[in-house]
Formats: sequence, structure tokens, C-alpha cells
Amino acid sequence: MPPLNAPEEGVPAAGLASWQQDNSSTSYASYAPNMLSELPELGPLPETPTSSPPAPGPLLSPPASFMRTTRPRRFSNISISSVAATVGSETQSACVGSTRDLTGRSPVLLINYQELQYESEVDKSLECPICRTPFHAPITTKPCGHTFCSECLLRAHQLRPVCPIDRRPLDVERDFCKARVIHDQLDRLRVKCPSQGCGHVCARELLAVHYERYCEYTPVLCPDNSCDLWIARQDAAPDKGCLHKYTPCQYCSKQVMKAGLEEHYDRECSGNTVKCAQCDSSVVQHRMENHVANDCPSTVVLCKWNKYGCGKSAPRHDVQAHEKKPCIYQAIGRLAQDREDDRLIISELKVRLSAAEGRLRVAEQEKTERRERKRRQAGNTNNTMPPFVPDLNLSNSPRAAASYNNGTLDSPEDYMLAQFERMETQMEDLRKNIHELDGLHSMRLLNDTMRLNEQIAELGSKVGVIGMHTTWLMNVQRQSRGQQRAGGVVGSPLSSLASSSGGPGTTNSATGSVTNAARNAPDNEGGRYYNSSLPLRRNSDGRGENPPRL
Amino acid sequence: MSYSMEDNQNSAPGSVPATKLGGARKGTEPGLNASKRLQTELMQLMTSPAPGISAFPSADGNLLAWRATIEGPDDTPYAGLTFKLSFEFPSNYPYAPPTVLFRTPIYHPNVDFSGRICLDILKDKWTAAYNIQTVLLSLQSLLGEPNNASPLNGEAAELWDKDPALFKIKVMDRHKDIEEDE
Repeated sequence: MPPLNAPEEGVPAAGLASWQQDNSSTSYASYAPNMLSELPELGPLPETPTSSPPAPGPLLSPPASFMRTTRPRRFSNISISSVAATVGSETQSACVGSTRDLTGRSPVLLINYQELQYESEVDKSLECPICRTPFHAPITTKPCGHTFCSECLLRAHQLRPVCPIDRRPLDVERDFCKARVIHDQLDRLRVKCPSQGCGHVCARELLAVHYERYCEYTPVLCPDNSCDLWIARQDAAPDKGCLHKYTPCQYCSKQVMKAGLEEHYDRECSGNTVKCAQCDSSVVQHRMENHVANDCPSTVVLCKWNKYGCGKSAPRHDVQAHEKKPCIYQAIGRLAQDREDDRLIISELKVRLSAAEGRLRVAEQEKTERRERKRRQAGNTNNTMPPFVPDLNLSNSPRAAASYNNGTLDSPEDYMLAQFERMETQMEDLRKNIHELDGLHSMRLLNDTMRLNEQIAELGSKVGVIGMHTTWLMNVQRQSRGQQRAGGVVGSPLSSLASSSGGPGTTNSATGSVTNAARNAPDNEGGRYYNSSLPLRRNSDGRGENPPRL
Repeated sequence: MSYSMEDNQNSAPGSVPATKLGGARKGTEPGLNASKRLQTELMQLMTSPAPGISAFPSADGNLLAWRATIEGPDDTPYAGLTFKLSFEFPSNYPYAPPTVLFRTPIYHPNVDFSGRICLDILKDKWTAAYNIQTVLLSLQSLLGEPNNASPLNGEAAELWDKDPALFKIKVMDRHKDIEEDE
């Protein structure tokens, strides 16, 4: 490495022009094949069969081919298998997908990881010093320990074979290694789906699957074979045809591309707005239903916990305030929602378990059949062994299949056994998962009910106290009346009023009949307040026994 | 490939997300990445500015051309002076260095009379990990510590060692001269 670098180090800084010439003459032509040969070792995803696209053009295609090789392995497997599966099928969409795939073009627009928007706070130390975005497929240099995105580092390395931070000479094959810990950290970052219109947020490692398989907004190739543009997946049905033709807008008669019609209505078109009758705001005509159903603040709606017993119905902004307050049915609603979620998960796990069991049964059957056949063969040595054809259902693990084909597993029986073991472990895992989930679920339920129980008990005790107060009051009143009747003269309407309205907090200056009544009811709490000697004695006792703490 | 590109360009105006993202199909298009990175740098410069330096994209909205200012460091002949610079970024930035010129005339051993700078990190020592802020800081320190071994302005390089007083006068002369012209 040093000889390569030495002349550069020695050259005194030359004029500007000479440097620029140097720079512009650095083409990517030599860069592309290098990348392709290196990446299987470097990138996070080795052995992708897609890594052999047609010879790349000199300038623009190298990055594209690079991205192809760095696509997550999971997806590339999927795409390959889907191609294989659909090659024979006759539906138009399948043909489009597969034929284009086979010509080396991806049916889905690739993710540009540097353009991603991150939802979670990203630590500064997880940012590549070159592109200043969170690392994608990070590589660490072995001699100096600096980390970069593999793409950034390889590009920089192509221009000058040194570390971009400390200019230490680096060799691609010897000095680069994957940064696994960082890789895991990055996988957990929450990102927004890059498709326009899709608000999906997920962990970064799951993004590729969402984007390439499930997202309805992912740009895919236009279903029309003669068209080379991209279109959101939800609009790419073959029966809709190519949406990249211009049509006049029905409201303002401007020429608009079919695919952009919706956006045109929403953003530009002026002849398309109407006033909402309820809230007086102007809304795009064909969004009116949506506006009334979701946005309009004056429409009367039900509380969102309506299902769980809240009967509130009012204009939307009132209901929103009511829900925020929060609605008392929220606790129950949340609990019920959690339960529903858990039930969903459990049912999904059950389905997976039963599928695994089914596969296991098939595997067992195969095994017994094979044993049977072997025994028969042992008895009848003249028979030649029939050629082994592995069942497609069972060879769903490409690694196992590959190792079988490579001859690491000697016989079909070994292969079957390996499959069988794999099934068993899978089932065991599933069973464990279900148990865990069950436990978690019941724990959560218990916690929530405990809180409710406590609250109920508290309420009960409060009711008891109130009851006691009432009986005490009743006693007071009854006794004062008795005295009135007995004394006859003293019982003026004033004193009876005082006794009925005075609770435990009434002052001692009330009429004597009240204090008398209180003394006569020693089982009441309120009685103690009137028995003035008791608290005083306690106080003095306490002071006598305990020395001051200071 | 060339056919599809042509097609793309013809139908581009008015079409929405599909063509807007069309560039990304060819992988990472250099220009896009350069702007993205420059945006990030702008953000960083705005949120945590370093003392004595500032930079901002030119008024015409082109992210590939910036204007910057540095203040002359204390204890140098340039103390108290402010220098304007222009940055031109190549489309493959940060893999290639920006072209940096002094707009304010400056009398310095490593800057010629048209403002071109002789600094290794702007030429062969550039690496992709440099950014606008580090370049500006390097230039600021170059003001105080010129590299007299490879001068663009030979007279200045001689005077720097021999006659600091005269050097200071020349610096002030040159700085004043052109600022009035501006």
C-alpha cells in the first residue's frame, strides 16, 4: 500500500486546475466491477443471486448495481422465488413482474437509505461522517476503527485508497469488516416508509419487507409493458392500464396526467372546492364525504369509547375535548382493546402452530414411508433404489436444501431427519411463545383488575363512613327531639335547627343539648370531638414519653 | 438505459411521485446526495455555529454554491478583518472537494491575487469526511500559519518572516482597497 500512496504524499500542492483535471478524469468505469466483486464479502447480504446484472454502463449504473447487491437478503430471495413461481402463470401482472425481473430490472423502486426520515432520535455517533445520515450497512476499518456506510466508504476508497478520517492507507480485502453491533442498533431505529402517501413507521430492519411487499404506495413499474415510468402499487392494476397519459381535468379542463389526477384535484385545481354546510370551510368536492366523516368539527359524532358504554354524542370538537378529559370509559376501553390485540396474536400463533404441526406430520409420514421402503429393499436386494425427489413443501429452507445438494448431508434420510428436527424446534418455539403470551396476558389482566378492586374497596369504605355520619346525625336529631319533648320549654326551633345542620365540625358553643347528645352516643366518631378531655390527655402523654427529636 | 432516461425526461413535467422518484431508480444519483448532505451541513451550521465563521447558500436557491465569511484570528495581521469566500460544490461532493475562492482581496502567502487558495486539504488531501465547517476552520488557521514553503504569493511569503510590520501594512492596504470597490 505505501508505494501507491507515497508519490501523492510527496507532491507539493499543485495548481487548482491540475487537481480538477485529475478529479474529472476519475471515472466510475473501473469502480463498478470492483464493487461487484467485493460486495458479497462486505455488504450485510452475501450470496444474492441478483448480483449479476447486465454489464453496467460507465457512469450512472454502478450505484444502481451496488444497491441491487446490498438489498436485504430476505427480499431478494422472495423476489427470486416469486419470479420462479410466476414464470409459468398466465395472468398479465405476473408476466409483467417476471419478464421485467428477468431482464435485470427490479419491479420495485429501490429504497434510498440516505433519504429516509427517522422518527426516533438518532444518536450523532450513528451518523456516517461522509453522508451525515445514519449508517446504512456500516463498515468499520480494521487498522483505525472508523465506521462508514459501506457505499460511502467504497466510493471514497475508489477515489483515494485511504481512510477518510485519518488518511491511513486501507486495503479493501484486508482492512474492512462489518460493524455488527452498530448494525443491530441501526436496525432498531424507527423510520418512515419512503413511499409518498404512506405514513407507515416501523423498525428499519422491517422497512424493506414492508416497502417491497406490503406498502400500497411503493412505486412499481407501470403495468403497461410499453411504459417505463413508475406508479404507486395501488394504482398499478393491469385493468386500469397505463396511467401516464394526459387527460383534461373535468373541473378546470387543464391537461393532467391520469396518475396525478387526485393530487391535481387536491392541490392545484380551483374549480373543485365547495363549502361545507356545517363548518363553513371550503373543501375539495370529492373529499366532502371524508371531511364529514373524519374532520368536520361541527358534525355530531359519538365518543370513541361508545362501544364500551359511554353514551356521549355531540359535535366533533366537543367530543374530542370530552375524550381528552378523559372519558371515564377509557380505562375499560383500553383494557378491552388490549385483550382484542392479544387474542389476535394468540390466534395467529395458533395458526402458525397448526401449520407447523401439519408440516411435521407430513415429515413424519415421509420418514415412516422411507423406513418402510428401506426395509423392503433390505429384504429384496435385487431392487434398485428409486431416485430421491425431495418434496417441495419440505425444502422451504434454502440453506438446508443447498447443503443437501452440496452433499454435506449424505443421504435423503439424513436430510429428512434434519428437516424433522428443524420442525420440532420450530414447534417448540411456537409453544413457548404461546405460553409466554398467555402469562403476559393474564398478568396484565390481573394488574388492571387489582387496581379496579382497590378503587371499589375505597369507594365502599367511603360509603360506609357517610352511612356512619348519617346515623350519627339521625341519633343527634332523635335525641334532641326527645329532650325537647321531655324538657318542653327549652326546645326552641332555633336549637333544633342548629343541631340538625351541625356535623362533627360544629363548635362546642352550640346549645347544651347538642353536647349532651354527643356524649350519649360514644360509638360515633363525631362524639370524640366533643369529649374535649380525650385529645388533650393524649397530647400530654405523647409529649411526656417521647423526648423532642431535635 | 438511454431510451428509458429520455422517456423519463419527456414525460417528467406534471407527473407526480413516480417521476419525482425516477432519479433514485439509477441508484444514488450524485447531485441528489450532494444536496442532501449540504442540507444536513446547513442545518448543523445553523444549530451549532462555530465562532468566527459563517456560511450560507447563495441567494438564488442553488445549494451547490455557498457564500461564507471568516473573521481574521486575533494575534495575526488579519485580526479584526472579515473575509468573504465563495464555495462551489461539485455534483459528487463530498467525494470531491469544493472550489473555494477568497472574494475579499487578501494579502496572504498562499492566496493569489484572484483569490485562489493553495491548501492541501482542498486538493490532494481532501477526504469525504471534511465539511464546510472544517474547511472554514482550516482556512482560518491558515491565516495565522501560512505555508511559506509553497507560496502562491512569493512576496508575501518573504515578507511574513522578514518584515512583519510591512506585511501588516500590505494586508491592510489590500483589504481596504477592494472593499471600497465592492
